[in-house]
Amino acid sequence: MRNPTFYTRRTFLKRAALGGALCSSVPSFLSSTFRAMAADQRGPLQVETGSNGRIFVLLQLAGGNDGLNTLVPFDNDHYHRARPSLRLKKSQLIELNPEFALHNALSGFKELYDAGNLSIIHGVGYPNPNRSHFRSTEIWHTACDANKVEKYGWLGRYFDHSCKGSDPTVGINIGRQTPQVFAAKNPLGISLDNPENYKIRKNHQGAGEKVMSMNGEMLSDDNDSPEGETISAIGGSSKSGLAPLDFLERTTLDAQVSSEKILAVTRKTRVEGNYPNSSLGRSMKLAAQLIGGNLPTRVYYLSQGGYDTHTNQPGAHQRLLSDLSGSIQAFVQDMKAQKNFERVVLMTFSEFGRRTAENANTGTDHGAAAPLFILGSKVKGGFLGKPPGLAPADLTPGGDLKYGVDFRSVYAGILDRWLEVPSAPILGRKFEPLNFI
Amino acid sequence: MLTPLTKSEWNYSKAAHLLNRAGFGGKPEEIRTLADLGLESAVSSLLDFEKSKHQADAMAWIDDTGRLDRLEALKKMGQEARKAQGEAKSTLEMKRRELQREVQKEQQKHLLEMRHHWVNRMATTTHPLQEKLTLFWHGHFATSIQKVKDAYSMWRQNEVFRKHAAGNWRHMLLAVSRDPAMLIWLDQNQSRKQHPNENFARELMELFTLGEGNYTEQDVTEAARALTGWTYSRTRDQFEYRSLMHDQGSKTVLGRTGMLNGGDVVEAILTKPQAAKFICQKLWLFFVDEEPESVVVENLAGQFRRSNFELRPVLSSIFSCQKFYDPSVMGKQIKSPAQWLVGSVKMLEIPLPQPASVSTMLKSLGQELFMPPNVKGWDGGLSWINTNTMVHRMNFVATLVHGSINPEGQEMTKRRDARRQDRETRRSKPAPVAGWARSEKSIDGLIASFEKRFLAVPLRQEQKATLKQTWGGKSIPDEKQLRGIVQFLLAAPQYQLC
Repeated sequence: MRNPTFYTRRTFLKRAALGGALCSSVPSFLSSTFRAMAADQRGPLQVETGSNGRIFVLLQLAGGNDGLNTLVPFDNDHYHRARPSLRLKKSQLIELNPEFALHNALSGFKELYDAGNLSIIHGVGYPNPNRSHFRSTEIWHTACDANKVEKYGWLGRYFDHSCKGSDPTVGINIGRQTPQVFAAKNPLGISLDNPENYKIRKNHQGAGEKVMSMNGEMLSDDNDSPEGETISAIGGSSKSGLAPLDFLERTTLDAQVSSEKILAVTRKTRVEGNYPNSSLGRSMKLAAQLIGGNLPTRVYYLSQGGYDTHTNQPGAHQRLLSDLSGSIQAFVQDMKAQKNFERVVLMTFSEFGRRTAENANTGTDHGAAAPLFILGSKVKGGFLGKPPGLAPADLTPGGDLKYGVDFRSVYAGILDRWLEVPSAPILGRKFEPLNFI
Repeated sequence: MLTPLTKSEWNYSKAAHLLNRAGFGGKPEEIRTLADLGLESAVSSLLDFEKSKHQADAMAWIDDTGRLDRLEALKKMGQEARKAQGEAKSTLEMKRRELQREVQKEQQKHLLEMRHHWVNRMATTTHPLQEKLTLFWHGHFATSIQKVKDAYSMWRQNEVFRKHAAGNWRHMLLAVSRDPAMLIWLDQNQSRKQHPNENFARELMELFTLGEGNYTEQDVTEAARALTGWTYSRTRDQFEYRSLMHDQGSKTVLGRTGMLNGGDVVEAILTKPQAAKFICQKLWLFFVDEEPESVVVENLAGQFRRSNFELRPVLSSIFSCQKFYDPSVMGKQIKSPAQWLVGSVKMLEIPLPQPASVSTMLKSLGQELFMPPNVKGWDGGLSWINTNTMVHRMNFVATLVHGSINPEGQEMTKRRDARRQDRETRRSKPAPVAGWARSEKSIDGLIASFEKRFLAVPLRQEQKATLKQTWGGKSIPDEKQLRGIVQFLLAAPQYQLC
């Protein structure tokens, strides 16, 4: 058996059964879970990553990032016409080539670009784009056609196909709600936001005090913050092939198996990167710690909210991108220090870009296609795909950018070329894998 | 009409199910009372909450008249700081930040108090269904204080949900469309005829009334025009119709053409058969199960339209129908964090923990009231459960069952502040487990009785065996051990279901 963690799980079950740990409802469902896991052993397994396997980090920019002011076609008259007040001046840009520049908050991206570690894909989207945050997020998470509904996420289907019987930490969502992209017939993957709290306390003494001492979420400390906050996160709903009780038992078991390990890893692993003091900064830092701790994790999912910039976009967008850039810069620095950079590919996506023309509230409304960034030492640096036309005749009837690259070709590239599993069974059909690795 | 449950099928466990779903559960005596009423009276005892008034003390700051002045002063200072130059600018900016910190601190305090107040109301009210519905509407018209930035407005919106909880859908829609928190939340107050803002118009159709795919982009644009002029007056702190901002022209929304205004948009929506179906389906999802058959939805929607969008008859049908008590429904719903917390304190017969603890629990479990993750609200169902939330559910059980002090009280004697000690002792006393076990003569009887008290889904044989093995010595366990058993039951996967 090439799967050492299977034994971990089994050993754990045995120990818990004998020990009768206080919170353990483990023994009770030992048998059923065990049967399920035995069944899992059929089918091809992917070898655990351990300290040498490849890692994929997926980062959602929730709310719909304004692609046009992220990767700016600064030499295009149509851009300036569509964005009389939002267009970025040369001083607000970092030029990459005579046609395109990055928003100057993305200095970290420029470094990666110069090092040949950043792949920028123009005009990513899908046919018949949907302008609902929720529906479009669902489409991106499940990789379905816009006119179809699919229960499971594309990474969940990757778990189902290629990671059966794996340790639950094969996928880690850093956040409080499981993203739909992890939803699977046989759910795998864990969620956590703070490793210090991700621990089942062995006895109750002091437990209450701990609760008392933690504070509720402080309100956003920034009164200038714009109206982006109707979308602070979009997880999408969780689905599973399991009945509710089975799902609960499975999750309880996974929580018990993973919690001790996670805390040990994060306490032991120090990271040096200078992360922004933000939710994303903390999440990226945690991801760096977990990667440094050699967990057998293949996929990390993170999310940054606030991109729904209908009003007062400039300041908000500046802050968001600066947070994004700083977080990624620190993360890359840590990956390099850990000698793990070669193992990591990180991809950003947003449920949609924004309308080409700005609105009347110095903001932008929901749009369609947008650029997508992939970074890592193994990616082919530079541009891929054809930039969407900005002339009115080139836009959709609703005034959006037309997509040139189907997002599922990007997923196919990740699956076929990075995670090294056949993409067609996972994506439902063959998409030509985009050649960024 | 949906087929109602026959009288003979009504029993204790069905009463427990009704109280779980139409309320937040309760202790055995409450369930017994409900069971003795019979189905029909049990349902109406929950549903006819308007016949008596629930007395609840609101937060002290509800009547604070200085709130608006402070917010206004802050806004002014910001404007002045933006205009000012040089040293004056930095002085103003500093002053503004100071006031802002003060306001935020106050808002934060109010938010914690308000959450505590509401959750406590859920736990102590004589009208549990009214609070359950208020929770439903909060999730449906999901508005967050993150953007509204004013606890008072959030509470006022909560009172709108409570007032119309089982009332008329049309009245609810109109009231919410004019609610200041909603106007701010979805930018309706920024919408004017020159530049209609589509945010509210879109969500009104997508999330509140029709569902995605049941309107066109054109409908959104036109509805946004019709809704212009519906705005919020900060100075008067209420809804205001500003005719100068309203687009007087002709619009077409969902096939209705004319000089439409906001009220006409609501009417145009309600004439769509989909409108009745959409909300009935959502109620079914919340109260019954995940996948309603279309015939059930059609049935409820028909009744809803015939009663001119009165919610009470539809709710009555739901809680009386056979399907609601079907084995495929009972014990199959994952408790929301609010349900989990309120149900736990009710069943454990303990007071609700203090405000900061309640907020921490709700946050960790993924349901920060007044702060939903987005305008779609909480996804619910399996989405409540992941490894993170399971760890927290298991840990918080310890706090609730044992109290925040250990049984010997050592922690507390270290505290210097005697008053605080007294207060916390009162607030976090452990569950009175001994009383529940008094009449039990055997460990089997004890486990059966606790199982009935706490679980809607039976334990597995292996779980019972473990319990007996660990605690089932010669006699009935002592109080500390009893608490251990209760903790085991509440940390079990089964306890997450109702």
